Amino acid sequence: MTLAFILLGALAIVGGIITIAAKNAVHAALGLVGTLLCVAGLFATLNASFLAATQVIVYAGAVMVLFLFVIMLLNANQPVTGHDPVPFVRELAGIGGTLLAGAFVVLAFTYEDPRPLAESAAALRGGDAMIMGETLLTRFLLPFEAVSILLLVAIVGAVALVQRPEAQPDGVPDELEQPIGAARPERAPTPRTGAQPALQAGRESEVSA
Amino acid sequence: MVSTSSYLALSGILFALGMIGVLTRRTAIMVFLSVELMLNAANLALVAFARSWGDPTGQTAVFIVMTLAAAEVAIGLAIIVAIFRKRETTNVDDLAALKG
Repeated sequence: MTLAFILLGALAIVGGIITIAAKNAVHAALGLVGTLLCVAGLFATLNASFLAATQVIVYAGAVMVLFLFVIMLLNANQPVTGHDPVPFVRELAGIGGTLLAGAFVVLAFTYEDPRPLAESAAALRGGDAMIMGETLLTRFLLPFEAVSILLLVAIVGAVALVQRPEAQPDGVPDELEQPIGAARPERAPTPRTGAQPALQAGRESEVSA
Repeated sequence: MVSTSSYLALSGILFALGMIGVLTRRTAIMVFLSVELMLNAANLALVAFARSWGDPTGQTAVFIVMTLAAAEVAIGLAIIVAIFRKRETTNVDDLAALKG
């Protein structure tokens, strides 16, 4: 039990470091997958078997597939480099994070269990789906229903957000309407707003850096 | 049986890692990944507390947090895709048009 905790905890921290330090976004996402799997294992050691299964299926499976899909769709796996807008942001964040972690560790070891741990763990009955369902459909019925509505709204919202904007009657021919043999512009000019020149220049310098 | 304090300490370390990621990464997707790390650290603490008190309420809360995170990821990534189509970048420094 102790060995499992040390192993899974160390791997989870390593995965977290990969997540925040990897240059390539795909590597970072895979590091997070490792962390999520380790957290699922830790759930299993904490008498929460149903949650461990849910963590693997929903988080490490569905959510991370969505992340990888978007990273590859946007071709965002290249690192963003360039001028740092805030000076010493990495150093400050590192110091702040270390202080926060230290404070959490100190606080954690002041915590005392309200009753013997073995007795509490037995009351959870392994955290199987039955005890979860009992709580979810009695004490948490309203949040449960609210979450179902939230998921529906999220689905509709995501579909509405990524819809292509309708063609504007501005006289500019659409890119797809040009004949096949015609030379297509390298980037479709966006007639409505267009990226600002400063932004484009900044991005090009970042890509070359 | 590993003490609850050890789990809470691990949770705190993971949370701090996620915070560093949110503060230092420049791509919106990487910021999102770090937020997921922080959510998972909070989930770990909730499950540890659930075992400590012998009450499945904490585990149920984790279940609901997972659902919320899934909805948040769906909407957030859709927003990132929409922004990328308009501005051709997901660098959060270039997307600071609303800064005061």
